[in-house]
Amino acid sequence: MSLPVRDRISMALLPILAGMLLFIPSAAFAAQAASHPLADPAGWWIWVLLLFIFSFFLGIISVLAGVGGGVLFVPIVSSFFPFHLDFVRGAGLLVALSGALSAGPSLMRKGLADLKLSLPLSLIGSISSIAGAIVGLTMAAEKVQLLLGIAIIAIAAVMLKSGKSGFPEVKEPDIIARTLGISGSYYEPTIDRVVDWKIHKMPIGLVLFFFIGFIGGMFGMGAGWANVPVLNLLMGAPLKVAVATSGLVLSMNGAAAAWVYLYKGAVLPLIAVPAVSGVMLGSKIGAKLLTKVNTRAIRVIVIIMMVIAGLRSIMKGMGI
Amino acid sequence: MSSEKQKETAIDRVQLVYANVLDFVSHTGMVLVAAGFFAYVFRLLPPTVSIEDIASHWHMKASEMHRIIKVPAGWSWVSDPLHGDALSYVSIIFLSMAAMICLTSAFTVFLKERNRIYTVIAFLQIAVLAAAVAGIAGGGS
Repeated sequence: MSLPVRDRISMALLPILAGMLLFIPSAAFAAQAASHPLADPAGWWIWVLLLFIFSFFLGIISVLAGVGGGVLFVPIVSSFFPFHLDFVRGAGLLVALSGALSAGPSLMRKGLADLKLSLPLSLIGSISSIAGAIVGLTMAAEKVQLLLGIAIIAIAAVMLKSGKSGFPEVKEPDIIARTLGISGSYYEPTIDRVVDWKIHKMPIGLVLFFFIGFIGGMFGMGAGWANVPVLNLLMGAPLKVAVATSGLVLSMNGAAAAWVYLYKGAVLPLIAVPAVSGVMLGSKIGAKLLTKVNTRAIRVIVIIMMVIAGLRSIMKGMGI
Repeated sequence: MSSEKQKETAIDRVQLVYANVLDFVSHTGMVLVAAGFFAYVFRLLPPTVSIEDIASHWHMKASEMHRIIKVPAGWSWVSDPLHGDALSYVSIIFLSMAAMICLTSAFTVFLKERNRIYTVIAFLQIAVLAAAVAGIAGGGS
């Protein structure tokens, strides 16, 4: 009995993922030994190359799993690479930001990413993401690492539990959405018709976006894992609009928080650039593979990876 | 058929303006990121701090590293920009300013359309980002 092609590709990705999690930590541990070649600063290029390769595969996997690169980047790189958490968070924000920037134009032209929906949410979120970044950079790295581990496992649980709704029903927009004139339409090829949408429960959404922005800024992660369920399941935006608009919000929140990291000297081009370019190249490959692999299986694998990275982050935070 | 239906979707002018500016800014940003990094790691321009020095300190907290070596932070590169690491850093600065550039274009459209609510929201969002860029919002030391 032979497996379908998409399942075989998914199975083939498993050893790559396992390798990423098994090989990189042993290399990182080895690098801590003074006699090891990786501990020699002259071997910097090995880490930069490894980071690029890792980010490239992360870019592929994050598209296939439907999660932002930032949420996986920070816990895994901070646990398995020799860089301090400050620099990893700085790079993580730029990873999330760049992904949102490059995908933005086409999603906006198709009417999927909505500027008017994103602006009030990003205004609240960018203020709180700056606050989160300040708090995160003030706290001891061990505490942030511990909290990051807990947050990542909680996010994995949210991803496992939260459902999604392609076209949620919104009977009546709330007063804020009405006043701001937030509604839109886009062409949905799967049903060959133009979908009109509106939203509701904006006040609760604004409060939640405040907290999401804070967490994103504090841990240097993208926040698609939280933005999308709030926009889709709570506020009633169609799933595609929620995903695309989440990116637009992220591009503004990420930029605000990134400046705190830039001023604190927590952005090193040597770490940020290979991460950003690796994830962006990988995302393009991932988008091409999207129809050829079993995305549900990949999503489960990614959730397992998040739990492992979260546990490792907790252990590192506890000094184990 | 699908292209006709695509045309039926009403997309605000401001959204199209934002998308066009974002398209230009993000592509320019990516070219700058690649060019800056190339100049940095292949040492086409001398770095402010050697790459080996950074690699021997990148396990430290950012504030501790800055007490020992002076890598670019915030706008510090402006006083001495002709270095490989400064150039690579500038490309990251550009990416971090992309949203603000796009929002400024959206703000002018809202203003021309006399859309008061969104003019105010866009202005406030620009002000928050400008405060972050200027180091007023918690970043400056």
